[in-house]
Amino acid sequence: MKATVRKLGRVAVVDITGKITIGEGDVLLRQKVQELLDAGESRILLNLEKVKYMDSAGIGELVACYKRAKEKDGTVKLLNPSGKVYDLLQLTKLEEVFDTFRDEGEALGSF
Amino acid sequence: MAAGNSVKLVIPSEIRLIDLVHAASEKVAELAGFDADDALNMGLAVREAVINAVLHGNKQKPGLNVSVALTWNDKELRARVTDEGNGFDPDQAPDPTAPPNLMNDSGRGLLLMDAFVDTLKIKSRPRGGTEVTMVKRLPASEGDDGKK
Repeated sequence: MKATVRKLGRVAVVDITGKITIGEGDVLLRQKVQELLDAGESRILLNLEKVKYMDSAGIGELVACYKRAKEKDGTVKLLNPSGKVYDLLQLTKLEEVFDTFRDEGEALGSF
Repeated sequence: MAAGNSVKLVIPSEIRLIDLVHAASEKVAELAGFDADDALNMGLAVREAVINAVLHGNKQKPGLNVSVALTWNDKELRARVTDEGNGFDPDQAPDPTAPPNLMNDSGRGLLLMDAFVDTLKIKSRPRGGTEVTMVKRLPASEGDDGKK
């Protein structure tokens, strides 16, 4: 998994490529989001367009990131989850928890 | 039943080997005749079973192995994942989609397994390990006996 950050206005967009899975992707996601939170970023948009799939550990890390951000009065939102990723969010009912967008502009404006 | 094929993997309880088992399972599903999406689903189901076996069953202890047996024919693919741990009661596993559990960091493995295969059976005995058997039927075979 790879994750790069773009700063667009007040929002930190994390572009993720690959798989968010146990032992590698979940750890990298945790590190990336924690770095942003430690740097004072409170508006984080995870771009999942190029994430092929996640496993339960990856899903758990998304939830953990959401909670960590909330503890610091921040928020994590999702952009363009791919077919399988969206299926997983629906299956786990997490699409009811995360604000999810198909358009980056709309996502940025929502913060 | 037509003649079948089989692949067996035995791995130590190491997280770094889970990708290998997933890849093998997905490839076997392709060989069995599943399309790319269903092959990925089978790979994900086996992946979740192996994660549970490594983390919760064997608790990543050196010397404890996880066995993955994949067998297939022209009707179905069967995956059996076995650990050497202390067993658990699957009926006691909390529903991860229930409101009190929705924001838990873990506990979604069984849900994903169940969603990606047609049948899921768990045999677990205290100090006797756990055996998870998952069956995914090929689409062409689903109408043969009226059952999915």
